[in-house]
Amino acid sequence: MRLVESIKKDFNTMTLVLIPVAIAINIVIGQIVLVLKLPVFLDSIGTVLVGALCGPWAGALTGTLSNIIWGLAIDPNSFPWFPVALFIGFVSGWCAIAGLFKTWWKVIITGILVAFTAAIVSTPIAVYLYGGITASGVSFITAFLLQTGRDLVTAVLSANFIVEPVDKVATALLAYAIIKGLSVRYLARFPRADNVSA
Amino acid sequence: MPENTPQASQDKFSRMPDRLSFYLERGSPFHRLNPLTKLTLVFCLIILAFFGPGYWLPSLLYLAVLIPLSLWSGVGREFMRTSIRLLLPLFGFLFVMQSLFYPGGRTVLVSLWIFAIKAEGIAFAYLTATRILVMVSSFLLLLLGTHPSALMNDFARRGVPAPLTYIIASTLQILPQMQAKAATIIDAQRSRGLETEGGLGKRVRALLPLVGPLVFGSLVDVEERAIALEARAFNSRRVKTSLVEIPDSQVERLARWTMLLLMLLALASRAWLSFKSRV
Amino acid sequence: MAIVQVEGLSYTYPLAISPALQDINLSVEQGEFVAVIGANGAGKSTLCYTLAGFIPHFFKGNLQGSARVAGLDTSQTSLAEMVVRVGLVFQNPFNQISGAKFTVYEEIAFGLENIGLGRQEMKNRVEKVMALTGIADLAHRSPYALSGGQQQRVALASILVMEPEVLVLDEPTSQLDPIGTREVFQVIKEMSRQGITIVMAEHKLEWVAEFADRVIALAEGRMLLDGKPREVLVDPALPAGHIGISRYTSLARRATQQGLWPAGRRLPVTLDEAADGFREARRAA
Repeated sequence: MRLVESIKKDFNTMTLVLIPVAIAINIVIGQIVLVLKLPVFLDSIGTVLVGALCGPWAGALTGTLSNIIWGLAIDPNSFPWFPVALFIGFVSGWCAIAGLFKTWWKVIITGILVAFTAAIVSTPIAVYLYGGITASGVSFITAFLLQTGRDLVTAVLSANFIVEPVDKVATALLAYAIIKGLSVRYLARFPRADNVSA
Repeated sequence: MPENTPQASQDKFSRMPDRLSFYLERGSPFHRLNPLTKLTLVFCLIILAFFGPGYWLPSLLYLAVLIPLSLWSGVGREFMRTSIRLLLPLFGFLFVMQSLFYPGGRTVLVSLWIFAIKAEGIAFAYLTATRILVMVSSFLLLLLGTHPSALMNDFARRGVPAPLTYIIASTLQILPQMQAKAATIIDAQRSRGLETEGGLGKRVRALLPLVGPLVFGSLVDVEERAIALEARAFNSRRVKTSLVEIPDSQVERLARWTMLLLMLLALASRAWLSFKSRV
Repeated sequence: MAIVQVEGLSYTYPLAISPALQDINLSVEQGEFVAVIGANGAGKSTLCYTLAGFIPHFFKGNLQGSARVAGLDTSQTSLAEMVVRVGLVFQNPFNQISGAKFTVYEEIAFGLENIGLGRQEMKNRVEKVMALTGIADLAHRSPYALSGGQQQRVALASILVMEPEVLVLDEPTSQLDPIGTREVFQVIKEMSRQGITIVMAEHKLEWVAEFADRVIALAEGRMLLDGKPREVLVDPALPAGHIGISRYTSLARRATQQGLWPAGRRLPVTLDEAADGFREARRAA
């Protein structure tokens, strides 16, 4: 079965050992950024790293677990957003397979795609949490538009509109920089090392 | 101590949370319950809160189920304190956002400049807040009353794949190590003159010297740790056994099935209600 | 039949230009305690990984020749099966803690769970090995709340508990203080006394002299010397292989130049031999 094989391919022993380290990297860098009061999150660098080196499924798992553990350790309000973290890992994995992790410019494209995905996935969650698809029959599209309207207000209030793409592009670039700093011999250990070799 | 002295900001870094495991050793009957029972309880409460009938159900679950359970397991004070502390910011945000922007809200209570606070918004905010409160605090109760190793051992015995229990256990253990290492690196860099306060540019430039050594140091170890894992026959094809057996009982099994039934009833009642409202 | 039989072994790491090991021939009898010395990069670690099966299975690369350890051909046998018969302990204590378990007791039993041992047998073995390595009092601590020396003993215990026939150690005491070093060496010597074959890469020549039955010196991937400690450790070929000599040997050599070492007496490799030699020199004076 091709799907099962594709999933299995992502996970060798190095992947299993990398994932906890990547989750820890996510959380620690996320905390440092909070303390430095920078206007970004940078809490998915490990997730993107795993997505690129190991594959989309490993990336998705990393993102999900990372979100859950961040929720447990730091801020449980982040629990509902786990699909976003999941898709960040998933999409960076597929971008890498498509060859988008081989040059600086392509990595920026990956970052933009990830930001775009994050925005799409977070919308229904935000709609549910903050606006509610109520039983009064508001259609999903109406709710989406209302949510966008609300987002514009929020965006004006918090410049979120600009922050998200910057955050995800920076995340992808930092993951790329880390990969570039590792030896080819080391990278060859990971299942999808050919994603990042020139 | 004035907020902007070097010492004050030093404390800010060393106050990064390092207690990952909420577990409190109490030896209560709740603690002794099988982890799966407690986990089932958590999901049951969450499903009831989000799908069960009744506006006041989530509040009731929190006050009449969760708080008494927490008292019974001897973690009452920490439970109440932590659940309120973790959720207060969210509640504040929810109330502001939904009282102002809830779609279909008509009953205006207060009008401030261009913003109008609507009663429907407040009502919805309360419902959402209590639902999330039940979700987060039931997990909190689970964690306060269950040692991570008991949880992992039970999962492993019930057939959760070893790679997954390995990943979860390993993350929980190395995260505090990484946080401690980060604190050390931060100290070392600051003693070399790295500035972590001040304008945005300075703070951005502080990021790389803080992050670089930490990331590369921990990544380099990955290879050796993978070798160590192999050396313990982790990838052996043989059927794995388990050292520890967490006790389970008929009573608990029955309780779990009952809770499953409750969950299905809650989901059914939600389906029924939305069906009725369409007809 | 030797328990370790290496013939014509050459190995090159992936993407490497020159081989890490060239034409190694080695035969170790059951129960021997063999020390492997050599400069950094001489191939000590590579040899250790080969004996344990990590080369070729973990590291891939180009392996020629053959290695049979504990009756298993390292190229043909899966790594998971190799590690049951051949244990590997390496330098960094922290990296050998699996992270999968929350107490030292369970950490030690981890390998036994993986090979499917029964619960009672697991408990017996864990308790035995904890007594042997002197860590019984650490049983309920977190493996991460230990000192480097303690962690290394836990790592050693976690491998010994699987009752390997051959124990391969790659500089197990490099990151330990003198007390930790002595503790580890004592455990290893006890295992040797119980009949386990030991192959240990090591820099600390005084310890090698005291504990090893046999010393192999590697230089640039080739075998330079193979013999008894007191012969190999004073061999003049050592500096050519960029291998140091022990402080005692070095001191006695200088003393010889000044006529302070008994003429014709073999150079010492341990503290006791040095003390005896200098005492003899003083009596003759």
